Amino acid sequence: MNTVLLISLIAAAFSAFFALVRQFQMLQQNSYYPSRYFLWVKDGYSLPLCIECIAFCASSLLWGQELYALQLAFIAAVLAARIFSAVRVQKKSIKKLVFTGRIKRMFAAAFMLFAVLILLYVFFPRTLAGEIFAVTAFMLSFVSPLTAVLCRAVTAPVEKAVSLWYINDAKRILKGHKDLIVIGITGSYGKTSTKFILSRILSEKYNVVATPQSFNTPMGVVRTIREKLQPQTRIFICEMGAKNTGDIREICDIVHPKYGIITSVGPQHLETFKTIDNVFKTKFELADEVLKNGGTVFVNGDSTELIKRIDRSLYRIYGTGADFDFRAENIAYGKNGSEFTAVMESESIPVSSKLLGLHSIINITGAAALAYTLGVEARDIKFAAAALKPAEHRLELKPYINGSVLIDDAYNANPEGCIEAVRVLASFEGMKKVIITPGLVELGEREYECNFALGVEAAKKCDIIILVGKNRSKPLREGAESVGFDKEKLFAVSSFAEASRLYSGFADRNTAVLFENDLPDNYLN
Amino acid sequence: MVIIMKTNIAVFFGCRSVEHEVSIISAVQAMRAVDRGKYDVTPVYVTKDGEMYTGDALFTIENYRDLPALLRECEPVLFARRDGGVWMIYENNRVFSKKKPVKTDIAFPIVHGTNCEDGTAAGYFEYLGLPYIGCDILSSAVGMDKAVFKDVLKSAGLPVLDCVVFRARDYSDNRDAVISEISEKIGFPLIIKPVNLGSSVGITKVNSADDLDVAIALAASFTGRILAERAVTSLREINCSVLGDADRCEASVCEEPFMHDEILSYEDKYLSNSKGGASKGMASLGRRIPADLSKEKSEEIKKLACDVFRAVGASGVVRIDFLMDTETGKVYANEINTIPGSLAFYLWEASGLKYTDMIDRLADIAFKRQRERENLTFTIDTNILSGVSFGAKGAKGAKL
Repeated sequence: MNTVLLISLIAAAFSAFFALVRQFQMLQQNSYYPSRYFLWVKDGYSLPLCIECIAFCASSLLWGQELYALQLAFIAAVLAARIFSAVRVQKKSIKKLVFTGRIKRMFAAAFMLFAVLILLYVFFPRTLAGEIFAVTAFMLSFVSPLTAVLCRAVTAPVEKAVSLWYINDAKRILKGHKDLIVIGITGSYGKTSTKFILSRILSEKYNVVATPQSFNTPMGVVRTIREKLQPQTRIFICEMGAKNTGDIREICDIVHPKYGIITSVGPQHLETFKTIDNVFKTKFELADEVLKNGGTVFVNGDSTELIKRIDRSLYRIYGTGADFDFRAENIAYGKNGSEFTAVMESESIPVSSKLLGLHSIINITGAAALAYTLGVEARDIKFAAAALKPAEHRLELKPYINGSVLIDDAYNANPEGCIEAVRVLASFEGMKKVIITPGLVELGEREYECNFALGVEAAKKCDIIILVGKNRSKPLREGAESVGFDKEKLFAVSSFAEASRLYSGFADRNTAVLFENDLPDNYLN
Repeated sequence: MVIIMKTNIAVFFGCRSVEHEVSIISAVQAMRAVDRGKYDVTPVYVTKDGEMYTGDALFTIENYRDLPALLRECEPVLFARRDGGVWMIYENNRVFSKKKPVKTDIAFPIVHGTNCEDGTAAGYFEYLGLPYIGCDILSSAVGMDKAVFKDVLKSAGLPVLDCVVFRARDYSDNRDAVISEISEKIGFPLIIKPVNLGSSVGITKVNSADDLDVAIALAASFTGRILAERAVTSLREINCSVLGDADRCEASVCEEPFMHDEILSYEDKYLSNSKGGASKGMASLGRRIPADLSKEKSEEIKKLACDVFRAVGASGVVRIDFLMDTETGKVYANEINTIPGSLAFYLWEASGLKYTDMIDRLADIAFKRQRERENLTFTIDTNILSGVSFGAKGAKGAKL
């Protein structure tokens, strides 16, 4: 047995652990789908990956040579670099690695994997098998995406059993709630905002529990049911997210909604859906389930991709169309927000709200339609609508650096929504208008076109454009420059920190800035 | 196995109050009326020492005859906030038969008088962050203090009898000055009462200045502040219950209690029917329901009752007692019972609302108030201190 090799093996195993922090983080943010995770690895990880491979090759060159000092120095350097980068990445990430049970089990799997390989080397050092184990251990520690996926695969059966137990427990809890009304909300855009609005309006009359933030996967829903549902809860609002066909069905099979809202169908997550027809089919898995349960589905008639695909007689339609069942009329914007009349069947409700943008008005109308159907009185709807606060990072008006005004629209990933946000910014007349954005992602073949269009719109309405991510934002820059935007007033920077430093240099009381679509760091390269 | 989710309702009763026993009767009645298909009931008996006990023996009124025996069958408990909820924790944790903490969803205080009904109980639940049935701290406190109650109503433009408030000390120090003030402003006959007691305890009708000493001494044995108010000579007492919150409330039918004496006494209210066994509380008192009133008069009183309810900012179920001058036909709000005896359920049953459904409504109202509060901002989620540099380096920020 070669002691130096053993020491470097153990050091390599440690360095693999630290490398896994970043890998597990990205795996987690890609909902543990290896396919999506590898998209990230392929897309944004190529340089570090190359370095890893080179390091691996270099280490194999040292292999068997009797350059002990060099070998130890090399592995020590790798370990130090890994620890440094793991700590740094965790500190700087917007969306950090969350140490869930699953992640802990994956680390345990990694630990066992290396322990077994190292022990095998210790017991069979001179056989070919021993060499192979050592090589495998080295390889796993250097090529960390591979290790991450291996750990995921090893723990997969355990995870399946664990989640099945949780799902059954959630179903049992739901069965114990005799009078619970379950509402499903889905859509390419606007589902989170609609959920918040609906939850606020319904709380005028009922005890409501809604899935928090972006808990819109089956396990997120299960967790909400197990942790948040109270005996006195009358209404459970369940946001349903989808990246693949069948995703919504999976959630419906757990919660069996009696009411549904479909906020929109659009080119979201086309990387996995491929076509808008697939998006439509997936979203309407909710409608099928609700109709099967004898319930009512409310759909947004203003979503063109949606309305052109449905038989209108089956659903209640809301939006701005004059022939819709529930509609917003006489829309007007003012300094304090928006005002409109919500026409609910026979009753007209005058609504004023702090929420900005046409999509917000449509969302309020949809939520009001369902609340009205569930017996919330007109005056309660009016009161609740006036009390609505913008959802976090969705056209949220905030004070900002040097007394300037911030329109925080960081969670918006919808092309039409982004254009609308720029229009909202434009309504701040007489002020210096600034946009800070990395552009849009995950739009498949439309990505270039949408970003170009956003660039054009921004150029027309804004005085200063700050783009985050020099390569990624190229289409935006091209869009802006195509309509002759002053190059002196267009900046491309590599991080949000840099953008905000730049901004603070010229911000004053007379400046309005729009933060558009700030995504977790898997997109910021 | 499917377990039906039930809201756990903790009924608090007893307390360090002169109306301890009345509270027990009201609570046992209420616990019997709760819909067990929807709620789990946890009785929380607060002894005259203020200790809290729970146990199934507390459901039966007969068990209260022998309190030490009853408490031996019960467990001492305390309440604490954990993981975003409120839990009832058993104090005695035996090694075997360890009792798990019980999640409490809502508190139902059925307590009367000082140290509880006056806002103390409401404050305790607010502090715990536990939704609770009934009036909040301020309206309970206003309801408990007859003088403040009159002031609040007066400023809302609602009719109350004129009164003079003085401290027992003032009377002791400057007897003549107080008597002359009372005589001038109020005149005889008048009523002397402690400002902060319910159930007619310590109330005397005084026909001349000679009788003031006795009446004031009696009132002073209960409270430091005393109220003198004009006695209506040709009087009918009319009570009316209101259910709801400031946003939506409705009044029950009116009742007219029969008066054995000139003032409905503590004995009338709670002890008159108790000879033959367990007292039935307010529900069994001699009274006429609905009160013999013209439709207009009864509507006037109901509307007035709702106005009083809103002026005080009450919530849940209350009983408002009115005095009606039969000569002039004028009606005055006399007092509000924020936790009325028997929760005035007999008035609601007479109005077509079953006791069981009434309690369900009360719980809904309590949860609604909780939601309204949650919709307001009380704390900022982020820790402001996390971004502050403390002292040194000439920091402009926090100076501590």
